[in-house]
Amino acid sequence: MKRLVVLIFAALFIVSCAQKEVVVPEDSRPIVKKEDYKDKDDGGMKDRTKNVPDSTSVDKDSIKDKTLSEEEIRVAMQNVFLDVRFAYNRSDILDEAKPTLRKISDWMLSHKSVSILIEGHCDERGSNEYNLALGDQRAQATKSFLVSSGVPATRMETISFGKEKPLCTEHNETCWSKNRRATFVISR
Amino acid sequence: MKTISLKNTLRLILLVSVLCNCNTAESRVYVDVSSPGARKLPIAIQDFTGIATGSEVSDVVASDLQFTNLFSFVDKKAFLETSDTPFSADNWRPLGVDAVVKGVFERTTDSSASVTVSVYDVNEAKSILKKQYTTKKELLRPLAHKIADDIYEAITGQKGIFNSRIAFIGYDEGEGRSIHLMDYDGQRIKRIVRKGSLIMRPHWSSDGKRLAYSYLKKGKWAINILNFDSASETEVFSANATDLVGDFTPDGKYLLLSSSSKGSPDIYMLQLGSKVLNRLTYADTIEVSPAVSPDGKQIVYVSNKSGTPQLYIMNIDGSDTRRLTFEGNYNTTPEWSPAGDLIVFSIMTGGRFHIATIKPDGSGMAVLTSVGNNEEPSFSPDGRFIAFTSDRDGSKGVYVMSVTGEEQHRISQKNIRAFGPSWSHN
Repeated sequence: MKRLVVLIFAALFIVSCAQKEVVVPEDSRPIVKKEDYKDKDDGGMKDRTKNVPDSTSVDKDSIKDKTLSEEEIRVAMQNVFLDVRFAYNRSDILDEAKPTLRKISDWMLSHKSVSILIEGHCDERGSNEYNLALGDQRAQATKSFLVSSGVPATRMETISFGKEKPLCTEHNETCWSKNRRATFVISR
Repeated sequence: MKTISLKNTLRLILLVSVLCNCNTAESRVYVDVSSPGARKLPIAIQDFTGIATGSEVSDVVASDLQFTNLFSFVDKKAFLETSDTPFSADNWRPLGVDAVVKGVFERTTDSSASVTVSVYDVNEAKSILKKQYTTKKELLRPLAHKIADDIYEAITGQKGIFNSRIAFIGYDEGEGRSIHLMDYDGQRIKRIVRKGSLIMRPHWSSDGKRLAYSYLKKGKWAINILNFDSASETEVFSANATDLVGDFTPDGKYLLLSSSSKGSPDIYMLQLGSKVLNRLTYADTIEVSPAVSPDGKQIVYVSNKSGTPQLYIMNIDGSDTRRLTFEGNYNTTPEWSPAGDLIVFSIMTGGRFHIATIKPDGSGMAVLTSVGNNEEPSFSPDGRFIAFTSDRDGSKGVYVMSVTGEEQHRISQKNIRAFGPSWSHN
C-alpha cells in the first residue's frame, strides 16, 4: 500500500515534469500503464529512482533494466539515440549536437545497467586509414562528452568504422554530412 | 577446409621459383632504365616451339617486356628464323633488331615442361643468355614471367618485376571484402583471406613471405600476419581500439602500427618476436599510416596536428619530427620508393584525390593523375611503377602507371571491385 502511494506520487511528479520540460515520449508513455502493469514498467520506474530519494528501489530498477524489451530499445533508439553529426574532417562536438547528447546522458543516467556502443563514422572522402582514425576520434569525443555529463565510462564502448558504413551513398555534401556521424547501439 | 585451400593457393604462388641451369648474365647494360626518353631497344621475341602452347608463353614474355616501355618490337612476319633454327646475326641486322629471344620446349611430360631460352646480341653476334627452365604445366604463366625477368636483367642489369604480386582488397556483393592476390599484370587473381567483415589494405614483408593486415574481429580491430611459408595466420596485435597495421621494418623483425588505445591514434613499433610495444608518437591528434624508409632509419606518416592531414617524417625511434607536405589540405597514405628517393602519397586537389610524389626533403612535388579519384599508391619493387586505386571508370579498380605518371591503365578485371593495392617488394 505504501509502495503504491510512492508510485502514484512518482507518476504525478513525472507527468508534471513532462509538461514543463518536454520529456521524451517513451518516458511519459509507460506512466499511463504503470497503475495497471507496474511490473512491466521500466521507464516510469527508472524515473522514479531519479526523482525519489529511495535508495533501496534503485537496485531493483537497475536489475529490471537488464530486461529492457525490444520495444523499449526500439523506442529509445528512435527518440533518444539519434545520430550526432560532425563537421568535415573534425571530431569536436558541435553545439547543435549537444541537446541530443544531453538527452542521451539523461537516459543513460536513468537506465543504469544499460551499456552502449558508440560508432564513429566518416564521409567517403579520404583514405580508409585516416578515416578510421577520424571515426575513432569522433566516437571518443562523443564518449568524453557523455562522461563529462556523468555517464560512467565503463558503460560505453567505442568503435570506428571510418568511411566503411555510409548511411547515404550519393557523392554530395547532403549525403556526406549525414555520414559524418556518431551512432549508438544499446548493447545490453 | 579453409586452411587446405589456402595452402594450395600458397603452394602455387611459391612454385613460381622454377628450377634452372643458369649461366651468369653478362654485365653489359643494353638499356639504361634510369634515363627516361632513351631509345627503346628493338627486340625480336620468336614464338617458343616444342609444345602447342609455346607461343602463349613467348607472348607473355613479350607483353612483360612491353610493359616496361623500354623495348620496341619488330613484326613477327618479317622474321627469317624460328626458335628451332640457329641464330644468325645477318638475319636480324636488316630488321634493325638489337636482341633476339628463342625458346624451345623439350622433355615435356604430362605434368611438367622444360624450355631452353636463348637471348642473342645481334650487334656482337653472340649469346648473352642461355637458360633451361623446368616447371609444372599449370605454371607456364609464372614460368614466362621468370623468363622475362631473366631477359630483362640480362639486358638492363636490373631485376625484373614480372614475378611480383599485388595484394589488394576485392569486394563482392555476396562475399563482402577479401584480400586477393594477383600477378603484377592483373592475371591469376586468387582470393586468399576472407573474414566476412571489414578488412583493410595489407602490407608485405620485404621478403614477400608475410602479409600483415587489420580487420574487424567480433567488433574489435585486430592485426594479423599471414605467413606464406607455413601457410598460417597469427594475430599479433589487438588493443581494443582502432588498431591499424603499417609497414614491416626492412629486417622483418618489427611491425609499425597505429593504435588509439591511449586515447588518440598514435604510432607504435611492435617487436614481433618479443611482442614488446614501443610508442613513437605522443600527440593528442591523429597519427596514422606509418611507412618505413628502405634503409629502416625513418618513418613517414600522417598527422592532423596542423588541423588537416599532412605527411610528417621522423626517425625510426620517434625523434626529430618534421613536416613534409605544405601543399594541399588532405595528404594521406604515404609510401617510400624502394630507392628511398621519393615518397608517393594521395593529395586532395580541386576536390578530388590524386597521386603525387615528393622528395623526402620536401622538394619536387609532382601530381601524377588528373582523372577521377586516385588513392592508395604503392611502388613496384624496382621503383619504376606505381599501383593505385582509381574510380575513373566508375567502380574502383587497381591501376598502374610509370613513376612519372605515364601509361596509366587498369590492371584489375572489370568484374571485381578492387582497391587498396599493395605491391610486393620482390
